[in-house]
Amino acid sequence: MISVEGVSRGYDDGARGTVRVLDGVKLEVAKGEFVAIVGRSGTGKSTLLHVLGGLDTGFTGEVTVAGTKLSKLKDGALSRFRNESVGFVFQSFHLVQGLSALENVMLPAAFAAGEGGGEAQAREALTRVGLGDKALRLPSQLSGGERQRVAIARALFNRPQVLLCDEPTGNLDAQTADEVIALFKSLNAQGLTIIAVTHEDRLREAAGRVVSLTDGRLST
Amino acid sequence: MKRAALRKLVRLQLSRDRRGAFSSSFGIAIGVASLVFFVALGLGVGRVVREKIFPVDTRLVDVVPSQLAIGLFGGKLDQDAVDRLARLPGVQRAYRKMNVRVPAVSFYDGDFFGRRLRMGIEVLAVGVDPDFVRADVQLGDFSDPGVGKPIPVVAASRLIEIYNKSFAPARSLPQLSATMLVGFSFPVDWNRSFVASVAPGKVTSSQLQVVGVSDRGLLAGVTVPLAVAVRLNQEANVDAATFTGVALQAASPSDIPAIVAAVKDMGLRIDDQERRMSENAGAAVAITTSAMALLSALICLLAAFNIAHALSAAVRARERELGVMRAVGASRADIFRLVLAEAVVLGLGGGLLGTITAILAALGVDMLAGHVLPEFPFKPDTFFLVPAWLPLLGVALGVLAAVAGAWLPARRASRIDPARVLAGQGA
Ligand SMILES: Nc1ncnc2c1ncn2[C@@H]1O[C@H](COP(=O)(O)OP(=O)(O)OP(=O)(O)O)[C@@H](O)[C@H]1O
Ligand SMILES: [Mg+2]
Repeated sequence: MISVEGVSRGYDDGARGTVRVLDGVKLEVAKGEFVAIVGRSGTGKSTLLHVLGGLDTGFTGEVTVAGTKLSKLKDGALSRFRNESVGFVFQSFHLVQGLSALENVMLPAAFAAGEGGGEAQAREALTRVGLGDKALRLPSQLSGGERQRVAIARALFNRPQVLLCDEPTGNLDAQTADEVIALFKSLNAQGLTIIAVTHEDRLREAAGRVVSLTDGRLST
Repeated sequence: MKRAALRKLVRLQLSRDRRGAFSSSFGIAIGVASLVFFVALGLGVGRVVREKIFPVDTRLVDVVPSQLAIGLFGGKLDQDAVDRLARLPGVQRAYRKMNVRVPAVSFYDGDFFGRRLRMGIEVLAVGVDPDFVRADVQLGDFSDPGVGKPIPVVAASRLIEIYNKSFAPARSLPQLSATMLVGFSFPVDWNRSFVASVAPGKVTSSQLQVVGVSDRGLLAGVTVPLAVAVRLNQEANVDAATFTGVALQAASPSDIPAIVAAVKDMGLRIDDQERRMSENAGAAVAITTSAMALLSALICLLAAFNIAHALSAAVRARERELGVMRAVGASRADIFRLVLAEAVVLGLGGGLLGTITAILAALGVDMLAGHVLPEFPFKPDTFFLVPAWLPLLGVALGVLAAVAGAWLPARRASRIDPARVLAGQGA
């Protein structure tokens, strides 16, 4: 499902020259796996996730996700890949204020190349995360856990092959985090491939495999 | 990007900062309103100049004899010269004009449209080929009626305008219209004058009857059939063979320059006084209008800067949201279009508001002018002309200004790095 081979990513850091955040990363993830990526702050976990999801284009090396080779894809094709093949979940939810839960879930449809999913598909995604009855609430009318579940429903909306999560429980209290982790587990049980960057022990335990990012390289 | 989704996202963004959106549109509305207003005013005043004050026919050239006798033909305007003028390439018709070369005076004593009038005035008359004014003749066929019969005359429309607006009110005389005037008769004594020396011959009298009102009529006098002028000149033993002028009608306005050149080659002159005055007045109007249009464009430019400023701030404030859109599949082009679409709505709103305001203001000014300004010659019913393209231009200018202002912010928005704005904590 995911194949990463010799991926490096550096940032131009002014006077100090280029800082290598990722340095020849290698990673293979099979379909249906639940992988946790851990590591100290600033080691490049988010950077790696952005590379996998086609949000970062400044890397070198080979990345193949769900059959799509990401290196050298133009912006249009890469956007389509993000739209159809992966779903992002962020630490800070990032819902669009002023749009209802349902409309937030449907946001990917706005940028779909083809027909895109409809409202029924959005309601189905909301039901999957247990928010079928709060479809018309605005983000400001939802709790933190509910917001994150709306964000997960948005990530699920286009039925992606891979869910990419960047500290999805980082802004949630322990009990709410447990609910979200349970949701991930059940999604994974339904066959969804999940990669989650986390500091959280319980999320790490929920994952089937844990890889650690140190000095720009992954180790098991 | 889906059109319905684009609409929804644009509406959402505009509803978040209604006041900001309104102030952005308002700037554009002011610029567009001033442009539409002043261009309509310029066009309207230009039309008055063109059609009423100096009604120049763009296909007519007035040829007059040269003051100096030069060359073989001596610049004389006799029948031979007229024939040659008529044969010039591009000339469709040549209309001869001959002044009645005897002085004349009209003593009027009687009923003048319901008022009693006693007056003596000097009368100037010019004879023209009847076809020259035929279209405006409403009574008879404008030919020489023969000795002793009333002579048909055509009055100048501008003379009536000046009479109605300045002479009649000052003397409390009735207002005249073309239809009232047709049929009106008044006496003249030929070979009589208050100011000029007269020929030794006898004084003869005739009736003049107005048979039409024309833009082509002699401004300071009356226009009679050419044959009448020839006859009167012959009777008075003055020059009845050379013409005072010839109006050449070109097949198209583009033939005029060549005709003018050929006329000059013949040693004749062009009387372009009217045309020059018309052109000068037209140019004055055009320059003023252009200056005001430029000022309006400047206002629109300021409005564009205002929009650029406002949108830059808005884009910065919603970096995360735009980043999320990128994460769920928006391309750079999608983001660019989204911001631009917001500007298009602002521009459309401002353009429409400005155009409507300008048209209402124009109506208001016309109404005010109708009530407040005194009557004066050539005072038009409307000072404005709004051709169909003007509102379109107004709205287009509004959109253009908004899009121009939005261009850089939209580009900056499209280049936001989603990886930078999405990771980590935040609102
Ligand atoms: N746009 C950027 N320009 C320059 N340096 C950057 C940029 N983005 C990230 N970095 C640097 O790259 C390194 C890795 O950042 P990244 O966000 O991937 O770390 P992380 O492992 O996710 O950290 P955390 O656990 O705190 O989220 C950091 O040192 C960061 O300062
Ligand atoms: Mg991170």
